[in-house]
Amino acid sequence: MILGVLLFSSCDLEDADSLNGLSTDAISSNLSRAELPQAISGILSDMRVGLATQIDVQSIFGREYYFFTGSDPRFEADVVTANLDNNTFYTTTPWNARYATIRNINLALQGLTNTTADFSNQEIAAIRGVLNTLLAHELLMVNNNQFSNGIRIDVADPDNLGPFVNETEALTEIFSLLEAGATDLAAAGDSFPFPLSSGYDGFDTPAGFLQFNRGLTARVEAYRGNYPNVITLLNNSFMDMGGDLRTGVYHTFSLTGADLPNPLFIALNQTASVRVSHPSFTDDAEAGDTRLDKVVLRNMPITFSELTGTHDVFIYQSNVDNVPIMRNEELILLFAEANMATNGTAAIDAINVIRNAAGLANYTGGTSAQELEDEILFQRRYSLFGESHRWVDVRRFNRLNELPNDRTTDNVPEAVPVPFNENQ
Amino acid sequence: MKQTLFRKVLFIFMFFSSLAIFAQENLTGTVVDNQGIPLPGVSIVVKGTTTGTQTDFDGKFQLEVNALPVVLVFSSLGYETKEQQISNNSPINIALAESATGLDEVVVTGLATSIKRKNAANAVATVSSAELAEVTPPQTLDGALSGKVVGTLINSNSGSPGGGFSVRLRGLTSIFGNNQPLYIVDGVYISNISVASSGLNTVSAAAGGGNPSSQDNATNRIADINPNDIANIEILKGASAAAIYGSRGAAGVIIITTKKGKQGKTKVNVSQSLGYNEIINPQGVRNFTEATFDPVDDAADLAAFIAARDAGRLIDYEDVIFGNKGFISNTNVSISGGGEKTSFFAGLSRETENGIVRNTGIDRSNIRLNIDHRFNDNIKVSLSGNYINSSADRGFFNNDNSGTTIGVALTATRPFDDLFPDANGNFPDHPNNSSNPLQTIELFTNNERVNRFIIGGNIEATLFRTDRQNLRFVGRAGTDFFSQVATVIFPQELQFQRLDQGGVNGVSAVTTTNNRNSNYAGFLVHNYTTENNLSFTTQAGLTNEQFSQNTVGVVTTDLIGSQTNVDQGANVSTNQFRLLQEDFGFFAQEEFNYQDKILATIGIRGDKSTNNGDANEFFYYPKGSAAVNLHNFDFWNDNSFVNRFKPRVAYGEAGTFAVFGSLFTLLNSSLIDGNVGVVVPGTQGNPSIQPERNKELEIGFDAGFFNDKLSLTFTYYNKEAEDFLITAQVPGSSGFVAQQQNGGDFENRGIEISLGANVLDTEDFSWDATFNWFRNRSEVTRLNVPTFNLGGFGNSLGQFQIEEGRSVTQIVGTTGPGTPVSVLGDTEPDFQLTWQNNFRYKDFTLSFLWHWKQGGDNINLTQLLSDFGGTSADFDDFDFDPNINNGTFRINNGLFAGNAAPFVEDASYLRLREVGLKYSIPNSLLESWFGNIVSDVNIGVSGRNLINIFDYNSYDPEVSNFGGNGLSQGVEVTPFPSSKRLLFTLSAQF
Repeated sequence: MILGVLLFSSCDLEDADSLNGLSTDAISSNLSRAELPQAISGILSDMRVGLATQIDVQSIFGREYYFFTGSDPRFEADVVTANLDNNTFYTTTPWNARYATIRNINLALQGLTNTTADFSNQEIAAIRGVLNTLLAHELLMVNNNQFSNGIRIDVADPDNLGPFVNETEALTEIFSLLEAGATDLAAAGDSFPFPLSSGYDGFDTPAGFLQFNRGLTARVEAYRGNYPNVITLLNNSFMDMGGDLRTGVYHTFSLTGADLPNPLFIALNQTASVRVSHPSFTDDAEAGDTRLDKVVLRNMPITFSELTGTHDVFIYQSNVDNVPIMRNEELILLFAEANMATNGTAAIDAINVIRNAAGLANYTGGTSAQELEDEILFQRRYSLFGESHRWVDVRRFNRLNELPNDRTTDNVPEAVPVPFNENQ
Repeated sequence: MKQTLFRKVLFIFMFFSSLAIFAQENLTGTVVDNQGIPLPGVSIVVKGTTTGTQTDFDGKFQLEVNALPVVLVFSSLGYETKEQQISNNSPINIALAESATGLDEVVVTGLATSIKRKNAANAVATVSSAELAEVTPPQTLDGALSGKVVGTLINSNSGSPGGGFSVRLRGLTSIFGNNQPLYIVDGVYISNISVASSGLNTVSAAAGGGNPSSQDNATNRIADINPNDIANIEILKGASAAAIYGSRGAAGVIIITTKKGKQGKTKVNVSQSLGYNEIINPQGVRNFTEATFDPVDDAADLAAFIAARDAGRLIDYEDVIFGNKGFISNTNVSISGGGEKTSFFAGLSRETENGIVRNTGIDRSNIRLNIDHRFNDNIKVSLSGNYINSSADRGFFNNDNSGTTIGVALTATRPFDDLFPDANGNFPDHPNNSSNPLQTIELFTNNERVNRFIIGGNIEATLFRTDRQNLRFVGRAGTDFFSQVATVIFPQELQFQRLDQGGVNGVSAVTTTNNRNSNYAGFLVHNYTTENNLSFTTQAGLTNEQFSQNTVGVVTTDLIGSQTNVDQGANVSTNQFRLLQEDFGFFAQEEFNYQDKILATIGIRGDKSTNNGDANEFFYYPKGSAAVNLHNFDFWNDNSFVNRFKPRVAYGEAGTFAVFGSLFTLLNSSLIDGNVGVVVPGTQGNPSIQPERNKELEIGFDAGFFNDKLSLTFTYYNKEAEDFLITAQVPGSSGFVAQQQNGGDFENRGIEISLGANVLDTEDFSWDATFNWFRNRSEVTRLNVPTFNLGGFGNSLGQFQIEEGRSVTQIVGTTGPGTPVSVLGDTEPDFQLTWQNNFRYKDFTLSFLWHWKQGGDNINLTQLLSDFGGTSADFDDFDFDPNINNGTFRINNGLFAGNAAPFVEDASYLRLREVGLKYSIPNSLLESWFGNIVSDVNIGVSGRNLINIFDYNSYDPEVSNFGGNGLSQGVEVTPFPSSKRLLFTLSAQF
């Protein structure tokens, strides 16, 4: 028994350590200079998670392409028929992935508030400017999916989440975040105290990043219909009528270690897992449109549950190709849109930049606002094919009913349901 | 209590130095069995005292007693206990009969004590070596228990060689925590973890993120234990019996005792089994005709079909892939024996088995050495050592999101597809899928190789002994260490690995796991018997358990040529998981026995662990039980047809730890453009997480009728999980998907009835039969979090839902577009019934075990994928609608209608689990042939799962895509089909 008592009292256990990773508190309680680049890289990396599901689902909603996969038939069922469940991957994956990135951003923002590191005021402004811009982008991605069902903006405290706000309010909040980001970036000096990925080449200084911020703000303002402001913002963005339409900000991919491959790449003429353009994409195109090179005629057409495709989507030619976040081409089209009702000439000039780049002659159609709207939507459809724009575009112009349904069971939804776990 | 203790202390001082002073009469004698063969090791005790001895090598004993007359109690494992009044000191000759009822076998009641079954207050199940492994050679230990233990649900996760089972004792113990019982072999805490291999999910993409997942169907490591080495298994099914195991006991404890040597002649037992396995239930092939194809849309397929048909080249690919008859060989050699002081058992076994899929199989070798040594009458030690070396090739099955697993590929394969290699071994690409399953089977590797040592030691020392009391010290230590190396290789020439097919030019992965469990314990046990035969057994002790796991996975893609080392490629990614946990506990228990009439036990276990928020906070688990042997009272009419009746009640509490690491929210690492980053994990930690607590009340009775010709055991239990651990789904907008929480309470209620009958027992013919009937119902009684879903593939395909007031294992789903979810099924069986029979006619023995599981639903997605691939055998039948064929109907009515109901299927089965026919060549005949060299020669033929009756639309209703642990059993996605086995066995003793 004495032995036992000795043994007993000597058996004090030490509290366990977290063996398998850094605790989140380490970031949020005090962001150090060494942790800063890792926090930023984590955010840029996490922005890519769930991207394929988000883009596939929106592209199917927008009848840009179909995704046939033998392993998950719901891409041909629920997503095409609009029988959307509130607890299935097409609803939850994009939502969870975007809000996980938002959590990363909020951890870094909290860490910045609590930091004891020797960051200068300019550096703090730079970090906050970038974080708020990316936060706005992620919220916008969620809002695009959820639309009339609303989203949460205030999620800084995971145990005490803010209320759902409607789409209009959400866009207002996103706009304010971008404005705050812009103010910070303007006061952020000449360089960032952290590296960005090569997807931000040309935008990796406070001034450059501010141009991205202004472009994004222009998109939000266009969604809100504030066209005069769109024009001002675009003039401060990286819009360049004479420049490369592909200039912009991108997600990058690689096969190295824990990095991710481009999830949207599929080799040509596959049989089990294929993205095929909706027949209307090739049917409706103007002859000679070089943007049709985004799809490639298959050796054999493919049919899955009565949906048929003849062309493989081939926007990305390898599994390390970049995926755009925002490109010059979109900004030029936003410029055309912002001018279509007030300055038809400016709008048509912008349209022609796009048409000419696609190997098409100048626009010869009518110049009424309605006709220009038709043309701009048509150009957006081809210029931004497979980049998650069409469904959002036709929705904001109340044209969802113009999208084709190939089977009697098919429908286009207006919004993705609020995930079940939000307990709404 | 205080008085008792005081008296005990007094006795210690009074009698410590005065052992055997009062001895006056010297008794001698011999103990033999029914056939007159001397029995060594029989325990002889003067009734009402602890004075006793054991018989020696020749069955002889010598005992000194104070005065005559005395009553001597003769007992030995496997024999009926006998009491004999001795009134003079002439030599005593006693014959013991072999025990038929098992009432005299001992069952554990404490960490260091055991009692006879007839005095137990719990329904402790036991499985003997004969029941476990002698009817037909089993594949794994857990599989061999199937159908043999009342109150358990044992489910095979897949038919992949090397095992993969889940064992649920009395329903679900925990929703997210551990559900698998604790396995203890000769006192050593055995690891039963499954380590998923890196590299599989990289290719299958079954779970997001490419990390190893439970869908990879790894072996659970209890499969390493050789069933042939086992002498006895005891199963403590719930907290009322397992409270003494504290925080590790909630899911029950399976206590395994391996064979030991006996004093006497050295015996060599050799047995060799040869046989094969084959698929139980092939699904068949769709009958393609020209009318199957749309002449416009399917023109190419139509042409391919006509060409293949005309060339007589329509292939049954199911038969090509699953049609293998896997060869089985099972060799066991054991040597046992011993002298007066030392006995030993040495076992050697080698098991090889090929799967029903080419290039799958298992090769397992097992060496065991058990040594028992008695220093003197007061000190004995036993040591057991076990080395296991196994290698399993597991195939590539279950869910995927890339069309690459063999199962999913088969659902897209039509008879006219040409998949066979050319003369140079080049496989064509699959015309209808991203992988050619024949090529995958031929070229890919998924191997688990294990080296494992299990070493345990036990010392028992009698510190003092008097007529009425004794004090023993029991010390125990053991280690289970294994190293598992999993190799996964997808060579670059595989269709889905080629760059032109969007592949990554080969994947090679190595996952190395080092796992060590160590446990130490020390106990003091004090027995004290009063003059009116009230006995007290007091025990107290300390335990310490340490667990560590380190798993490192390396995945390389873009391989250099045919190189497979993980440094021979362009892109290397690694992952590591570590676990380090230490538990510390104490245990005290008091047992009372009044003249074998009234029996009671109370005890408490205290546990602390580094896995809790406060590592030094003790959690206490009490237990208490009582039983009354009514038939031992004087008022019982000895001539009653009820010769034995024992009502009993037991209550106990036990715990389940949170999953390791639940306390923390740990950032994951990420990489983008060469910059390492940190990202939040899906699961949020919870610093205030507590173990969940299981409280079990068990009441029942044991009865014997017609002199135990018929025995009946009835048990009702109520097992409540309090503050059950959940990985609660939290609003995704928090940035997390889930959080570890103590989520609420649920309970399991069940009934277990066991009826044993010794129907006939004559010299030439005997027939024993046992019926077990049992059922379990569960209900979530309190839920702190909103209703949540888990374990499936969404509402439109069916999933589980934890909801207050409902069964824990209910399956829900939508039944049409926009419909709310409704209950579609439940994995809990309505009941299970097993029927075990042993017939003996002269030298022939026939044993069989029927197992009927009634009810319990599965989520079957294999048929959905077959329908979707247009390959279901009954695609063109018209069972549902005279105008729409089955395949189209099921897709339109199920998937396209947002209706999960068709995927939830009744998983009832009736199967002949085991059957064995054995002929024992009479020893007299053997003697005339071989002299005294050979004895006990048996020739047998046996089988497992030879008859299977079920109305389930896939290979087998016993299946689990998500492996063994956790709630989500019974989800099926193109598994490795299960097989039946037929074996011929020859065994002999030398």
